[in-house]
Amino acid sequence: MGQKRILSATAASTALILALSACAGGDSSGGGERTLDVWIMEGTHPDASAFFDEVAADFEERTGATVNVEFIPWADAHDKFVTAIAGDTMPDVAEVGTTWTPEFAQAGALADITDRVGDTSAYVPGLIEAGTVEDRLYGVPWHAAVRAVLYRTDVFEEHGLEEPRDWEQLREAALTIKDAEEDMIAFPVPGGAEYSLLPFVWGAGGDIAEQGDDGTWTSGIDSPQAREGITFFTDLALKDGLSSTGAATWLETDVQDNFVDGKVAMAISGSWTPKAILEANPDLEGRVAAFPIPGPEGGHSPSFLGGSHLSVFNGSEDQDLAWEYVQLLTSDEYARRWTEETTYLPGKQEQLARYAESEDPLIRPFAVQMSQAGRGVPVTPAYGKVQGQKVLQTMVQSILSGDASVEEASATAAETIEKTLNGDG
Amino acid sequence: MTATTDRAPSGRRTAVAFGKGAAVAAVLLFTLFPAYFMLSSALSRRSGSGTDALFPADPTLDHFVGVFTRGGFLTYLGNSLFVALLTVVGSSLLALFAAVAVARFRFRLRTTVLVMVLVIQMVPLEALVISLFLLARDLNMLNSLWGLALVYVALSLPFAIWMLRGFVAAVPAEVEEAAYIDGASWGRMFWSVLFPLVAPGLVATSIFSFITAWNEFILALTFMNDGEKYTVAVGLRQFFGQNTTDWGAVMAASTIITLPVMAFFLFVQRGLVSGLVSGAVKG
Amino acid sequence: MARPVLTRPAAPAAGPGGPRPAPSRRLSARTRRLVRPWALLAPALLAIGVLLMYPLARVVWLSFQDYGLDNVVSGQPDYNGLDNYVELLTDPYLWTVALPNTAVFAVFAVGGTVVLGTLIALLLRSLSPLWRTVVTGCIMVAWAMPAVTSTYVWIWIFDVDRGLVFQALHALGLIGPEGFNWFTERLTFYAIVTLNIVHHGFPFVAVTVLAGLLTIPRELHEAALLDGANAWQRFWRVTVPTIRPVFAVVTILSTIWDFKVFAQVYLMPGGAGSNAEVLNFGVWSYVRSFSQQSYGLGSAIAVLLTLMLLAITIVYLRALFRDEELR
Repeated sequence: MGQKRILSATAASTALILALSACAGGDSSGGGERTLDVWIMEGTHPDASAFFDEVAADFEERTGATVNVEFIPWADAHDKFVTAIAGDTMPDVAEVGTTWTPEFAQAGALADITDRVGDTSAYVPGLIEAGTVEDRLYGVPWHAAVRAVLYRTDVFEEHGLEEPRDWEQLREAALTIKDAEEDMIAFPVPGGAEYSLLPFVWGAGGDIAEQGDDGTWTSGIDSPQAREGITFFTDLALKDGLSSTGAATWLETDVQDNFVDGKVAMAISGSWTPKAILEANPDLEGRVAAFPIPGPEGGHSPSFLGGSHLSVFNGSEDQDLAWEYVQLLTSDEYARRWTEETTYLPGKQEQLARYAESEDPLIRPFAVQMSQAGRGVPVTPAYGKVQGQKVLQTMVQSILSGDASVEEASATAAETIEKTLNGDG
Repeated sequence: MTATTDRAPSGRRTAVAFGKGAAVAAVLLFTLFPAYFMLSSALSRRSGSGTDALFPADPTLDHFVGVFTRGGFLTYLGNSLFVALLTVVGSSLLALFAAVAVARFRFRLRTTVLVMVLVIQMVPLEALVISLFLLARDLNMLNSLWGLALVYVALSLPFAIWMLRGFVAAVPAEVEEAAYIDGASWGRMFWSVLFPLVAPGLVATSIFSFITAWNEFILALTFMNDGEKYTVAVGLRQFFGQNTTDWGAVMAASTIITLPVMAFFLFVQRGLVSGLVSGAVKG
Repeated sequence: MARPVLTRPAAPAAGPGGPRPAPSRRLSARTRRLVRPWALLAPALLAIGVLLMYPLARVVWLSFQDYGLDNVVSGQPDYNGLDNYVELLTDPYLWTVALPNTAVFAVFAVGGTVVLGTLIALLLRSLSPLWRTVVTGCIMVAWAMPAVTSTYVWIWIFDVDRGLVFQALHALGLIGPEGFNWFTERLTFYAIVTLNIVHHGFPFVAVTVLAGLLTIPRELHEAALLDGANAWQRFWRVTVPTIRPVFAVVTILSTIWDFKVFAQVYLMPGGAGSNAEVLNFGVWSYVRSFSQQSYGLGSAIAVLLTLMLLAITIVYLRALFRDEELR
């Protein structure tokens, strides 16, 4: 009796498993169908699935191949890429952050597309440079990104504030907001966002690292200039209390989420974020604008000129097909629509020129920042490792939490950066 | 304690009863609070702050709907269920065979095998994940639910063997001998006598394997690169990354993946406890 | 505890009426008896061997190599002897951060789990059967919460800006409106991890100790009572000695589990690598391997963790064997 019951239970569960496996493992058997796995970054974009569905439909019409797009949050992306490279589970095509392209190329993961691209003069030079390792190109510039300061115009107007022109004015404005708006964070100092820190390091005249003539890297993150910038940035939180306690562990996405919730008055924010913010909270429409990050004594502080490449992976079984998809995505029509929908800046110079002339308060400041004060991080495959180790984030967090002084933290960071870039890490 | 209360004067008895009641209340508060708070946050329309979520004034299922439509949790649940059931079937079967071997036979190296099974349980998964990842890569098992389930079978085996051993040993040898006297072969005795008798133990070990597979995080995080293949634990992490300030949604997702485990746990509580005790303690 | 291990008597006793036993059959039956346990064990041993033992050996192997992403892709080893261990053991990070985060934390977590679990077991024993069942059922809820979800619930409770703890402390005037970031400070970070672990771990202790308590004959307590021992003395003189093996098992199992804590740290803000102050051995090894592609160094960390656990396991086995539990 008992045995029968158990046998039938076993049979039932086996049947259930088989049924489940039929749906769970449905796509595992490759077969003759041509499919393309594509990874697109997510988390800072507005919802992009509609756009990619359309591109996929178009692509299928042209080539008969189906496209399977997966959206990857930026915060996890580096780990996910290297794990995929290590595990040989790479996609066919992916959007790759420009700072990672050299690293992945050196690991042998990206296909050399120098000959496929040919003439590169149409693209933003900084992005081509970022995708080049030993004169070979591994990524097509897809879009450019730069960070400036995003702020709430309604808050500024209410308290009679103007767009700050130097660091002191930025601090003063934030102090005014802090006193007047109790529920708002005047200027978050996020501990997990390296690109919010860098403008202050660069603005003060510091540097992450420079390569000497003999090829060794020297980090300038512990130079007096860099320390001045780091001190200014962290003192906004520590001395002036302009940030929040929670922000010490925030990533850029947390800053964005809190901006959406109306809790942030101004913040260093990417050129692609206004669209996403307004989409998430339409109430903010018309109450948000941007200004370029001011320099210490006027002018602009440099901001990271980044963006994304589209790269074809070596693991792809059909690189020609993958390349066709890249071409479709970077074609004039789709590139224009993508930049319009996301407020990413285009990676082609001719398309970018139009933006600098735009009067849109959510576009022009970013375009100005990009053309006048955009800057790159060290172009070397090892820099991706520095990012993987979260060196700058660790530095800022240890200062914000009071575990280390600016001197100590920057010295540790400089040591780690040099060790990693010079290859003994 | 019971003895004291029996003899204590009535004033003291009420004091003891009162103290006990307070202690029970404190225990219940501590144990149930996180689960309650998870549920109440998931149900409250506005879960902007902790106090808003504590007593949902205006309960809604919106967060749950959102989790299923936006979060892709149907896929994750399907994947986890598939992996967990595969793990249960695989590990129960293998563990039963092994448990019979160590409980019913005396053979050379028996103690060695037992000690090995015991020792292997302490090996931290964090130590294995690197080489399991490389192994799975070589076998083309990354991004495969079957591959993940296979590893989970191995992971849940030592404990399952250890626990089932007690159940098998508890079946009196005379029962088996009676079967032989009736002319049954060993195989027949195994399936029609031993198997039904240790079925309660199998249920307990199955639950354990199920929970191991359902809750496992580090391997699923490392093995599964394709969002379509995420299990619930990894899916929840992904979902949290996308909705860091939307605690209502995150808690709704958490509730969804906690419920199956909780249901199982409560359902087999008794078997589980006795199984644990006989497996882990009595040896 | 002596088990009725079946050492079946030789065939003649099996059945005088049976016409079957022929000499040749009997011989094959004996061989079968020798082979059968191994045949039954084979699938399990194979799975354990390939999926647990071999990876363990390989991780030791990897720990003697400088194994980076390029090695993974090319498959070429790059031996560097003991370099990884030298680098680790001379790194103050191991001694001042990772080890305390693993071992000191484990001491507190295990202590909390065992003490709370035992107290609750004593409470459960004194309840009526109905209440005992009800309370045990509720305790199971804490046990059943997956580590991933309970971690997120605790993060939410301690959320810096809007969490319940912040609001409560703020309402009481204990902290200002700027709040307190529990996740950046190592001590408070691990206080939350400990809370999470104790909450998840005490039901096992409570239930197991309760089972042990219920096996203590009532006469023992009554005899002690007649000797004039009070409750406290009875607990230490009667209860503890009788169920000492149970305590040994729950303590050591909890220790092993708490050394291996991963998700509860990794998922907390800063726990996945950005806050180097809060990594324990497991997370450190993982971050070193999978975020920074130093698989060799990560393996060496993993080996050190395994060695620590091995030492604890030996203590465990001693405790078991001393009581002749395994026979």
